[in-house]
Amino acid sequence: MVYLCESSLEGIFCGVYAVYADRQPLSDCRLSLREDYEPELFCSYKEIPLDPSKAEKVAKKIRNHMSMDAYRALSRAALHKSPERADQILRFIALGLSAGRRIMQMLKEPAVYEIFRMDQYVKNEAHFLVEFSRFWKQPSGLYCGTIGPENDVLELVASHFADRFPDMDWALCDERRKKAALHTSSGALAICTGITEEESRLFDKNIAADCYIKLWKTFFQTIAIEERKNPRCQRNMLPLRYRKYMTEFQP
Amino acid sequence: MVFDERLTIEQKLKILSAAAKYDVACTSSGVERKGKRGYVGNAESGGICHSFSSDGRCISLLKILFTNQCIHDCKYCINRCSNDVVRTAFTPDEVCALTMEFYRRNYIEGLFLSSGILYNPDYTMELLYRTIWKLRNEHRFRGYIHVKAIPGADPALIEKVGFLTDRMSVNLELPTADGLKKLCPGKSREKILRPMRQIQTGISENKNELTLYRSAPSFVPAGQSTQMIVGATPENDFQMLSVAEALYQRFGLKRVFYSAFVPVVPDKSLPVPVGGPPLLREHRLYQADWLLRFYGFEAGELLTEERPNFNVLLDPKCDWAVRHLERFPIEVMTADYPSLLRVPGLGVRSAKRIIMARRTGRLEFADLKKFGVVLKRAAYFLTCQGKMMAPVRLEENYITSRLIGEERKKTCEFENASSFRQLSLFDDMHLEAAPAPSDARKALFGEL
Ligand code: SF4
Repeated sequence: MVYLCESSLEGIFCGVYAVYADRQPLSDCRLSLREDYEPELFCSYKEIPLDPSKAEKVAKKIRNHMSMDAYRALSRAALHKSPERADQILRFIALGLSAGRRIMQMLKEPAVYEIFRMDQYVKNEAHFLVEFSRFWKQPSGLYCGTIGPENDVLELVASHFADRFPDMDWALCDERRKKAALHTSSGALAICTGITEEESRLFDKNIAADCYIKLWKTFFQTIAIEERKNPRCQRNMLPLRYRKYMTEFQP
Repeated sequence: MVFDERLTIEQKLKILSAAAKYDVACTSSGVERKGKRGYVGNAESGGICHSFSSDGRCISLLKILFTNQCIHDCKYCINRCSNDVVRTAFTPDEVCALTMEFYRRNYIEGLFLSSGILYNPDYTMELLYRTIWKLRNEHRFRGYIHVKAIPGADPALIEKVGFLTDRMSVNLELPTADGLKKLCPGKSREKILRPMRQIQTGISENKNELTLYRSAPSFVPAGQSTQMIVGATPENDFQMLSVAEALYQRFGLKRVFYSAFVPVVPDKSLPVPVGGPPLLREHRLYQADWLLRFYGFEAGELLTEERPNFNVLLDPKCDWAVRHLERFPIEVMTADYPSLLRVPGLGVRSAKRIIMARRTGRLEFADLKKFGVVLKRAAYFLTCQGKMMAPVRLEENYITSRLIGEERKKTCEFENASSFRQLSLFDDMHLEAAPAPSDARKALFGEL
């Protein structure tokens, strides 16, 4: 039996709830994301609607029976790009229900290792974006930036900037997922989905409008030591895919 | 000396960042500070890199000199008073504007402000103090600030600066008093060590005070660092490393940085390094420094009077291990943490993971690989449940030649030693993504 759930953490937890409610042997079940699912022959599937109260029951079980660390790891793993993430979360929870508080130590178990690996990957990308995201200042005073992450890390990154720039108007757009974090100088942070073409044009950099862009490029160039030039090392430290969004690498 | 009053801010930035680039410290680690309404900025204890320049070094701070004018004539320095270059100076407001505006665009973590000595040490230190004061009080900046303490400046001024900054540093420059005398006529060992001692005392008194009154202002909370130039004077690696060890132990330093000598001004008392700056040597010093700080090694274990220089072909940890084969192999299921840390191919994180995971099950070599252990190196020194991974001869020459083959394959490493991201603490992370870049970093985004 294939269970199809929504792709958010809550949606996945609802899927887990449904699998357990049916009391089927786990080896016969698979939890997949509805948005990625392609119907297979001879395979029965069931769509699981979102129900916050059921998701909360699962979340509570994880926090109380396993640990807060386990819960945090799962919430970040749910942001991973892998289409298998729902099923992996299910396997982890299944093991955690019997292992309890020891679950995070059981790195040797594939179910735990997979979540560990996904969590690590998501954290790393979020950290890269904390480092490499760039804002520019619009004439209106709004600081805005664009990112294109592999994983759905916008909220993680935005929470860092919300702490760092509590009184600033800023916006950070995930152009892949068409969503943006908007922060106002009053301290409010909101995530907007379904950003349109027109709205996203707001984020296009206007170099002439912000004189610090040029100053930063100057600094970036003069700070390098010619005698130590090492583009390969630079590439290892700063993966190429981030450069297209970074002021100092833009024409 | 040409002092030009009419330079634009961009021209000043160009001159005063080029003059600061030989200082290697660019880390923003060591202090954790949450943001606060009414202020701009926060700080993360692991530090944050924001970019990497074309030499592969991390850019974390706006690294500039306040002025490149200087009364001294240190022979290796581009700012020495006898060098004919354009001189300029920022104003405190210019430094504040650049810092704040770069910070708001997420270009930097904060400011690293150093300076040539204008008129005298007090005058210069006062200027730095005024700049930082404005940044903290008028611009309400809560990001990272690193300020150079000017040797010879009034201790009262240094103390005032210490209460506004996160990190301070005084550069030792050359490891021995002799070297210093030869290349820096205006400086002396005592003059450099005095502010270092003052900052150390200040930090430890402040720690006591903070345990009594939690709201007491903090003094240089991210600790102090220093820098030594590698290869401008004839000291060997053992001398350099012993000095570093003494600085960690006796002056409580947070970091010692090493900077491969780059000849920028020709002088007959300076060597001309063949084949460019001594980057491999610099890299070995960083590796060994890491072993001192995180792996429980002592300088005397890695080098001796008889063997005063690092092995060119092997990193210091492998080099130590092949000379101590009587201690190996050790058993993964039972070895204690300090012994695990001494195994080549194992780092701080992988050793911790092993200790955690072995409580809940027996480990195999395949598990170790998942934990980030570099088996190509570790395999010669470990057993899992009593068995080696493959039959090996525990024999120095054999293992050495295998490890050297491995070392050659490692790519960019030694060419760039000063960015901490790829140093041995982290080269055990072979997960699917590159390791996240921070020095001993805590779990990111703990609250979700
Ligand atoms: S004191 Fe020496 S090293 Fe420092 S800026 Fe002046 S000349 Fe250069």
